[in-house]
Amino acid sequence: MAETLQIAFRGKAVVSESRHLLLSVSPGAIWIVVFLVLPSLYLMAVAFMTNGPYGLPQMPLTLDAFEQLAGFGFLGWSPGNLYTLLRSLWQTFLATVLVVIVAYPIAYYITTCREKWRAIMLLLVVVPSWTNQVIRTFGWMNLLAPGTPLSDAAQMLGLIPPNMGLYPSNFAVTLGLVYNFLPFMVLPLYAAFEKLDTAQVQAAQDLYASPVRAFWHAVFPQTLPGLLAGTVLVAIPAFGMYVIPELLGGGKGMMLGNLVANQFAGGSNWPLGAAGAILMLIATFIGLFAMRRIGKRLGGGEEVVI
Amino acid sequence: MKKRTLQRGLSGFWWLTLVFLYLPLAVVVFFSFNAANSAARFTGFSLRWYERLLGNEQIISAFWNSLVLAIVSSVIALAIGCLIGYGMYRHRHRKLGWLIVLIYLPIVLPDIVFGISEMAFFVSVHRHTGLLQPGLLTMIISHVTFQIPFVALIVYSRLVGLDPTLFEAAKDLYATPVKRAWHFLLPTIKPALISAFFLSFTLSIDDFVISFFTSGPESATLPIYIWGAIKKGVTPEINAIAALMIGAVALAAMLSLLFNRQGQR
Repeated sequence: MAETLQIAFRGKAVVSESRHLLLSVSPGAIWIVVFLVLPSLYLMAVAFMTNGPYGLPQMPLTLDAFEQLAGFGFLGWSPGNLYTLLRSLWQTFLATVLVVIVAYPIAYYITTCREKWRAIMLLLVVVPSWTNQVIRTFGWMNLLAPGTPLSDAAQMLGLIPPNMGLYPSNFAVTLGLVYNFLPFMVLPLYAAFEKLDTAQVQAAQDLYASPVRAFWHAVFPQTLPGLLAGTVLVAIPAFGMYVIPELLGGGKGMMLGNLVANQFAGGSNWPLGAAGAILMLIATFIGLFAMRRIGKRLGGGEEVVI
Repeated sequence: MKKRTLQRGLSGFWWLTLVFLYLPLAVVVFFSFNAANSAARFTGFSLRWYERLLGNEQIISAFWNSLVLAIVSSVIALAIGCLIGYGMYRHRHRKLGWLIVLIYLPIVLPDIVFGISEMAFFVSVHRHTGLLQPGLLTMIISHVTFQIPFVALIVYSRLVGLDPTLFEAAKDLYATPVKRAWHFLLPTIKPALISAFFLSFTLSIDDFVISFFTSGPESATLPIYIWGAIKKGVTPEINAIAALMIGAVALAAMLSLLFNRQGQR
């Protein structure tokens, strides 16, 4: 406060403060504008261009890419892309719910342990996510391949046909997503549990609330900010996931990220891929916005960082 | 009585989750010592895949690419991000909403959109000007872009945690801003700089999607090499190289634990 007042009294200092702001911030700001904002804007423009001979975008401007994305092709309408979109939404939803179911008790359990163990336990949860995503997914390919104990067990139970593996399948994708995002839910939930006001639980018990009611009214609302923050951290990257469905899903497990990436990796159709990217961005921002609204309505939304 | 059963159940669930978390990694390490080329049957202990690694020039060059990419991008991101973090702190009373949006953009943008934006941009720039051919340089640029926000936020939060009167004292002690930065600011935020560097390094090593879309034919990193090998179905050495990378992470985890312990003392 005193600093700002001082500055306000000296006109010359205000100029040099502005210059200071410019000097310190501009290298990074310019970097992000040139190397991220411009490229993203270019990508959006590509979505409205015509697909050229080598998959490179050309003039004139059209809406062809969006029609293709909606499923209209040379052979009339096909539901493939729509299925991909629905599958992405479903997988994201399912994985997020499962992650919550696993992470909630784990986060609680860590807070009940002795203080010197907690840091180590959190580290144990986080360390697998330090390894490269491709390697982790490769580990699951090894575990779920045909002839492995897990696949054999599933065959004995009649869950999969003989001589098949558990991957590629939608199940393997869900499993991979849960595995990948578990730490992102445990950490914010742990933070919420650690701050838990136990007096409220005590009060509920004193008033003869059943354990379920005590949990629902005294514990759950307090963990909600952590739950929301975790949902943002899990659901948004899960929706755009590329590596896991590509390796564990096969042709029938494709998600939106694969649809987008294949247009670029194969070099076949940039405008279509760009249109898919726009769809993904819209979904991402709707998700973020919705989480923010929910967080604000329930109060204590400051935990939702974004 | 009831509480005890709950606690026991939770403890069981905890160990089960740990198995779930470490099983895929353990399998990779285990089969890297397999004498046979199979991920289903273990026929005997052998180091032959590790020996094969050393003779594989593509893997060696991918290793160096990963390392150069991580170090160079982290150093550049540290310099740029540190400046932004300081600027944000010094001018935190102003309205800097536009800056916050810019800084959060690389974090919220889905990886895949990030990657293909960069790819489309670099390819087009290269086609029109001949500059920025996809390769190590374009990968470094993209990595710096997603590292800057993390460095800036770490430095910023360290500065916010400091006592503001320290800055006044430094002003009285050292005459020029350069001396102030060198003798006061940099030593004070050194822990933040170290952790920002390591975080940037880890983010870079961890990244696959963005590297994949901005790399050129000569600049494959280890994850890109592994990806290609998995896709082609040639995987005997993959377990070995993956096991080494898992070992490196385990080592980093031990070090961070040790570091934490010392910090607490």
